[in-house]
Amino acid sequence: MNRFAIRCAAGLSVPFLLVACSSAPSSTGDSGSSGQVTITVGDRPTSSDPANRAAFDKRVADFEKANPDIKLNPVETLWDATTFQAQAAGGQLPDVLNVPFTEPQGLIARKQVADLTKVLKDDGLMSQLNPNVLKIAQDQSGNVFAVPTAAYSVGLVYNRDLFKKAGLDPDKPPATWDELRQDAKQIAQKTGQAGYAQMTTNNTGGWMFTTQSYAFGGSIENEDGSQATFDDAPSKAALQLLHDMKWVDKSMGQAVLYDIDGISKAFAAGKIGMFMSAPDAYRTLVNINGLKSSAFGIGPMPQQGGDHGTLSGGSVQIVSPNATDAEKSAAVKWIKFNYLNKYVNQDAAVTAAKAGVAGKLPVGTPGLPVVAADQWATYQSWIKPYVNVPLDQFAPYTKVAADQKIIPEPPVKAQEVYAALDPVVQTVLGNAKADIPALLTKAAGTVNAKLGR
Amino acid sequence: MLFALPVLLVFVVFSWGPIVKGLVMSVQQTNLIDPVKWVGLENFRYVLSDPGVGQAALNTLWFTLLALLFGFPVPVLLAMFLSELRGKSWLYSTLAYLPVITPPVVAILLWRFFYDPSPSGMFNTILGTVGLGPYPWLDSPSSAMPSIVLEATWAGAGNAVIIYLAALTSVRADLYEAAELDGAGVVRRVWHVMLPHLRGVLLLMLLLQVIGTMQLFTEPLLFTGGGPQGSTMTILLLIYNYAFVNGDYGAATALSVLLALALAVLSAAFQLATRGWSTE
Repeated sequence: MNRFAIRCAAGLSVPFLLVACSSAPSSTGDSGSSGQVTITVGDRPTSSDPANRAAFDKRVADFEKANPDIKLNPVETLWDATTFQAQAAGGQLPDVLNVPFTEPQGLIARKQVADLTKVLKDDGLMSQLNPNVLKIAQDQSGNVFAVPTAAYSVGLVYNRDLFKKAGLDPDKPPATWDELRQDAKQIAQKTGQAGYAQMTTNNTGGWMFTTQSYAFGGSIENEDGSQATFDDAPSKAALQLLHDMKWVDKSMGQAVLYDIDGISKAFAAGKIGMFMSAPDAYRTLVNINGLKSSAFGIGPMPQQGGDHGTLSGGSVQIVSPNATDAEKSAAVKWIKFNYLNKYVNQDAAVTAAKAGVAGKLPVGTPGLPVVAADQWATYQSWIKPYVNVPLDQFAPYTKVAADQKIIPEPPVKAQEVYAALDPVVQTVLGNAKADIPALLTKAAGTVNAKLGR
Repeated sequence: MLFALPVLLVFVVFSWGPIVKGLVMSVQQTNLIDPVKWVGLENFRYVLSDPGVGQAALNTLWFTLLALLFGFPVPVLLAMFLSELRGKSWLYSTLAYLPVITPPVVAILLWRFFYDPSPSGMFNTILGTVGLGPYPWLDSPSSAMPSIVLEATWAGAGNAVIIYLAALTSVRADLYEAAELDGAGVVRRVWHVMLPHLRGVLLLMLLLQVIGTMQLFTEPLLFTGGGPQGSTMTILLLIYNYAFVNGDYGAATALSVLLALALAVLSAAFQLATRGWSTE
């Protein structure tokens, strides 16, 4: 029982880490008087992934050749929720880093990212990006703090094999939550597996509840993020549906505690019929967790009582808040070169696709366009010969997703809000007698206290 | 004095420096990039008004209590049992110590697999053969904490066993012989010879265990993420979330300071209360 050494260490390390972080951050780049700018760029693949690493290093070399006044210093730093705050605080962030859509709003609020508005306008990039997607990286007054380089909206991932076994049409995922409930029930009865499952822990409960609430026409915060708004009819209906699926239909299995890792493993093992996720789940499920590629299916986010929209996800490139103007402009050049060029340049598109195929990565996974729509279509035609994912199985999603309204995450303290909503979803799925309105009122009180801070 | 200076310096800079800095941070609001804002006791007020903190404190105490009831006696009994075994004792103590060598992350992932709540889960399959279950283990708010205690006891018992065994080897063999000659059975030998010898170690381990269990972190983080329904959210996990998920260092350090204070008070009270009971 006495694991005190570890626990003491863990207890002590919190203040230690905090203090280690508090030393004055130093700028990682330096611009000499010669006009030469050096910036560090994150996301270099590790040496255990030699093909991708070589491709990345080649792009770095090509970039330096094309921009003799910019020197790049590639590092292996990746975004990770558990280390990001410490790195940001310690001034250890690279000048350019890839982060998921969940982060920009919090980073903007905490002033942990550079304002890129001027650089993007001067560069002309601002007008090329998909304005819908760009919203993810903007503050209330429209300033831009990050560059979106990949985007998708949350849909419904389903197991085509289980659909077939249950006598459902694998090309027709449910379009409404009522249909989803029926399908889940049928899967549970015919196959004995959970028809539907939902994430509930480590803030993913709040994240997916937000998505579901949006699909029911609800909202989480008011527009300026000063007040919780999820204590309303759509959210209650969403939770009631989950409750009924779990306790009346018994179509959600026994397990209550899922995070993205746990649910992916259970889904790949054939224990779950459907769950909310994005097209990039393909890589997690098939390439990492060994799901048969023919069993993967994805449809659009089911709606309820009208066409309300769905939550968006994806990645943006952020620039360190300590970067100087010269470093910012160098950073944007690199972002364009490394991430966006393939959408506007055929050679770059083909090279990137070939590298993906060689690195055994999914190529051609559908998503939302980060550039204007016609440019996006052209890009798709360039990479067509290299696509190695079963596009037909994404068709139900792609048909709808291009026009489906996407709704950004709650603008203020999204992660804290999600943390407050986790127990709400867990209670509904863990307690047949859960009092849904009371749960939401209580959580709204908690969230309002946090928003006021 | 001169020779002690480097040691003293290292101690002040690396051991006490961070603690003092932590105290300072608890009255600041900072993202560690912008200039700090002094907010006085605002962080403490915020933390104390967070309903999550009350529940986390109760959860932590609940874990500590369960760990004392179930986790504390197990290694004592195990050590006494092992010391009674003649021959091959190295083998038994190795076996007892084995779980400690397993890295906590690996052990927890393994146990999460055991605790699978479906009828085909490992424990549920075993219990199913005798007509019990399936139990929800980690997926129900009432059984999640006891399940964590069970794993933590398994993982940590070996450490304590080794310490108790070491203490028991210092018991002079002639005491046992004398007791045996007087016709004392196992129970009386344990009660009159072993326990009195272990008293000092037991008290120390008790205090260390209380301090250790109050800082429960790894298990809830990896098993349940604080769920279900917040039933395994502990103070330390909350501190971690404040700091590294929310980026609210002020609140995190304020809560750390409160936890440290509570533990200091507890330790002092324990010392006072047990001053008379120590060995000899």
